[in-house]
Amino acid sequence: MSRHQAYRNYDYENDLDEFDGEEDEYGEGEEELSPEDKAQMDAGTAEVRSALGPRASKVTTAQIQEALWHYYYDVDKSVAFLVNKFIEPPAPKPVPSKPQGGSPFSSSRTPDMQHGMERTGAEWRSRQKEQIPGVFTLYTPYLVPWLQVPDITARRQQHFSFADFFQDMPWLNVPQDRQTNFVQPLYPRGGLLGGSGAPPKMSKLQQLAAARKKKADEQKLGDKSKGDDSKPQVKDATKQMGKMSLGLKDSGKTPRPATSSLPSSVAEADVAPITPESRKRRNSDLLQLQGPGAKSPPGVPDTSVEEPSPVATAAPSIFAQTLLGSAPPAPPVPRTFAFPYTAFAPSVSDAFSGPSPDDVVLNAQAKASNKKLASATKKKGGDDKVGQAADGVKALKVDDTPLPKSKNLDVLSEYEKSKGKKSASFVVVGHVDAGKSTLMGRLLLDLNVVDQRTIERYRKEAEQMGKSSFALAWVLDQRTEERSRGVTIDIATNRFETESTSFTILDAPGHRDFIPNMIAGASQADFAILVIDASTGSFESGLKGQTREHSLLIRSMGVSRVIVAVNKLDTVGWSQERFDEITHQVSGFLSATGFQLKNISFVPVSGLLGDNLVNKSTDPAASWYTGETMIKELENSEPMTRALDKPLRLTISEVFRSAQSPLTISGRIDAGSLQAGDALLVQPSGEKAYVKSLELDSEAVDWAVAGQNVVIHLSNIDPIHVRVGDIVCDPKAPVNCIDTFTIKALAFDILMPMQVDVHRGRMWAAGQIVQMPATLDKVKGTILKKNPKIVKPASVARVVVKMSSKVPLEAGQRVVLRSNGDTVAAGLLE
Amino acid sequence: MADRRRINGPIGATTPPVYEAVPKRPAAKQQPAMRKIFLKTGVTPSASGSAYLELENPNQTSPQKTSLKLACTVHGPRALPRSAPFSPHIILTTHVKYAPFATRKRHGYLRDSSERDLGVHLETALRGAIIADRWPKSGVDIIVTIIEGDQDRDAPHNEDDQGWDMMNVLSGCITVASAAIADAGIDCVDTVAGGVAALVSRDDAAQPVIVVDPVVAENQKIHAACCVAYLPTRDEVTNVWFKGQLPGADILLYNKMVEKSLIACRSANRVVIQGLNETVKNVQNTT
Repeated sequence: MSRHQAYRNYDYENDLDEFDGEEDEYGEGEEELSPEDKAQMDAGTAEVRSALGPRASKVTTAQIQEALWHYYYDVDKSVAFLVNKFIEPPAPKPVPSKPQGGSPFSSSRTPDMQHGMERTGAEWRSRQKEQIPGVFTLYTPYLVPWLQVPDITARRQQHFSFADFFQDMPWLNVPQDRQTNFVQPLYPRGGLLGGSGAPPKMSKLQQLAAARKKKADEQKLGDKSKGDDSKPQVKDATKQMGKMSLGLKDSGKTPRPATSSLPSSVAEADVAPITPESRKRRNSDLLQLQGPGAKSPPGVPDTSVEEPSPVATAAPSIFAQTLLGSAPPAPPVPRTFAFPYTAFAPSVSDAFSGPSPDDVVLNAQAKASNKKLASATKKKGGDDKVGQAADGVKALKVDDTPLPKSKNLDVLSEYEKSKGKKSASFVVVGHVDAGKSTLMGRLLLDLNVVDQRTIERYRKEAEQMGKSSFALAWVLDQRTEERSRGVTIDIATNRFETESTSFTILDAPGHRDFIPNMIAGASQADFAILVIDASTGSFESGLKGQTREHSLLIRSMGVSRVIVAVNKLDTVGWSQERFDEITHQVSGFLSATGFQLKNISFVPVSGLLGDNLVNKSTDPAASWYTGETMIKELENSEPMTRALDKPLRLTISEVFRSAQSPLTISGRIDAGSLQAGDALLVQPSGEKAYVKSLELDSEAVDWAVAGQNVVIHLSNIDPIHVRVGDIVCDPKAPVNCIDTFTIKALAFDILMPMQVDVHRGRMWAAGQIVQMPATLDKVKGTILKKNPKIVKPASVARVVVKMSSKVPLEAGQRVVLRSNGDTVAAGLLE
Repeated sequence: MADRRRINGPIGATTPPVYEAVPKRPAAKQQPAMRKIFLKTGVTPSASGSAYLELENPNQTSPQKTSLKLACTVHGPRALPRSAPFSPHIILTTHVKYAPFATRKRHGYLRDSSERDLGVHLETALRGAIIADRWPKSGVDIIVTIIEGDQDRDAPHNEDDQGWDMMNVLSGCITVASAAIADAGIDCVDTVAGGVAALVSRDDAAQPVIVVDPVVAENQKIHAACCVAYLPTRDEVTNVWFKGQLPGADILLYNKMVEKSLIACRSANRVVIQGLNETVKNVQNTT
């Protein structure tokens, strides 16, 4: 379209209407049009005009062309736009009202402003013209609200409006489509001080209080509505006022109905919270302080205490206005705060009339325990009245103390169920320097219980002491004295497991000075390994020495199975003759001692090299031996049958302090079983203790049975009552402490009335043979001679021993009598 | 080591504006002319209770007015953390913090000793007003931010800062915290209010006089000042902070100063109550 045409089509009316220089806008736009565009535009204009028909007079060419340009020459769309926009404009849009629960910001805006915000710039401009036709000075003083200081109440309504802010904006000839849509700015709800749009946070406590209050109110309301329907609004308001903890608790004054007050009157009414009385009192106090003749201090002008004029609050500063003024008034949140305990519903306050939940539980528990007690006594009471009374008393005593809880397991059935591996313990005995500890050290090394590095370390240390061959023995000989002397002094225990059995090694000392320790070890063993030194000379000396004594002792301690380890055969070049000679001699000797030949087996071994221990010997010189290795022999040994159903007996082998309990004991259960929570009796002190917890192989367990070496954590007992060698037993079937007992003894030496030491396991006591009622037949047990003067070695006699102190002993136990460092007799208690 | 996580302003004094003619010291105001207080509660929506307090000196003529502006937020009562030991009453925690720009000398972001001191005083003042055993096992945090610290920015720099303005700050803190606590709906026996009285000399020759609500910048010399927290309805004082030297160590003078500060307390309390009434009224109008 040429400029000429533009002038021809110039519509002065339109121009007057839209004094925005819009013709400039499309004029400029026209000039940029390419010839093709122009042609398309002309065609389009004609088409639109024809489509509009008579209504075409209502729109200008410019408008048509603008629409066409806007819709990319789409005639239909342009027509629709023109019809909607200029020819039949729709009725003014109703103010879009947002739901009241929406953003508080939008709801607080004036409708006018909101309107301005959500329209396009073009709409906006047209609205502008409606308001101020032909006027171009669009500045209004209220655009900048902070320039004037409004009164506080008026300030609230006057918010800064962004629509107003752009009111004086000359939009010039910015095309309609390029003008922005005003979007309501995302202002924090609380003005400059921030805050989310969410309602003010209420703490959990406040919510709880509010909920209770509401509940109470509802209840009250329900009560009231029954009687009186008309609840005055004012009263409710005053109630709420009263609940605000403002300190307005003037007793004489009823709280003012808050609905009828202006700010000034509020100030007036509340100006004097001080009652005249209190005021007077304060002045009189002061007078008293000053005294009757007191004058005002010199040099200080007397400014009498006068009430200042009622303070009117200051107007907010510009800063405050900016800070607070941008925020709309807070959304209506019922902010009533109940006193936590006054607004309780009656049901809540009733909570304290009955017994507390704790009391209920305690009562129930007390009742239950009484019932249990009663039933327990009833069950037992059937037998005899005395027992009932005694049991009742005992049960009462037990209930008093806080005890470890017992699971009340049936230990024996548990044991049957859990039957995994057999457990067995064996004692290693033999003459001194037969190589017992070394043999066991090698066994543990070959079974990987001890690692090679430890052995290497021991070897290095042993070399420094000039005893490199003792390295393996150091696995078991841990004490410095044992290592420096090269002998085992006390029983050393260690554990290892094979596929079928878990074994406990009790490495006994071979030296004759430490026989008591050996006895202690042998008393815990199921079977024995008798180690014999095969090297020339040593075997012979051993047979005269501790080999003999040890085998006698283990036999008299009740051990029946013996594996004879013929050690150090490598020093004699694995000589079969030597082995056979030793076998012959030892088996003869052992059978004389009382062992059955089927319970004796011989294994040629080398403790230092490890032949025939775990692995068969690789030495060709030893190929003659076709029997089992030591470990196989051990596995083949059937462990002794345990006295599981007998009353509990345990000899304490160690007493120590541990993390779990100030008093921890360890030992092998000789008979019976126990579980955590059981009551125990420690003899000879006769003190009662409770099993706090149990450990088996350093793992916590609930129960233990005979034959197991357990660690027991005790409670409710003083450590002074527990010593090594004491017997722990079942309080229902206690071991009696006796000082005189009769044994059927096998004499190793000449017995006559004399001082003896009585050994029973770890326990040791001094005593005296007071009487020897009879010598007995070895096999038949018949009396051979009454009251013999002396008892010859290897004969059996009944002997009465009197002890210097009472010791826990009972029939069936095996004791050893020693005198002057020699074992003189061993026997069975009768 | 300086806090490198924040962009800190200069630590020392900022350069004051230079005027051709030194602004005159304002004329002595009439007695008793307390500054008017502007107080508004419920200003911070995210807090359970909040208040804003402003004290401006209308007599000041210099371009930068000396004023005190405090904002207080109260968070709580809320349940104590599980790790906290049992408490049969509410545990009150007060934090008073100067905005970095609040005083002539900029404050750091970490609370310094004076701020902690103010916090302790504020806690003592409020402890007496709050009915603590109504809220067992709970805690409340009261945080006062000093936006402007009532210091004359035009004052010559050789005038060493003796911290007299801290008195006014504390009294403002007490008043604003009291309003915020009431706004949070925490039970109190009364609205506690703070007030200050000081023994001042206008110039070196003049006799010292007791003034209520002293504007530190206006007075030549302050001998002593006394800030009191007061429960007007109960006629009880919860906290007294006295500082300075009384000429001749006069007990009567001391009494007088306390009396005077009680006047300031009462007038501050009126403002608090008016502000709270307004809030109640607004709530009731909207509901």
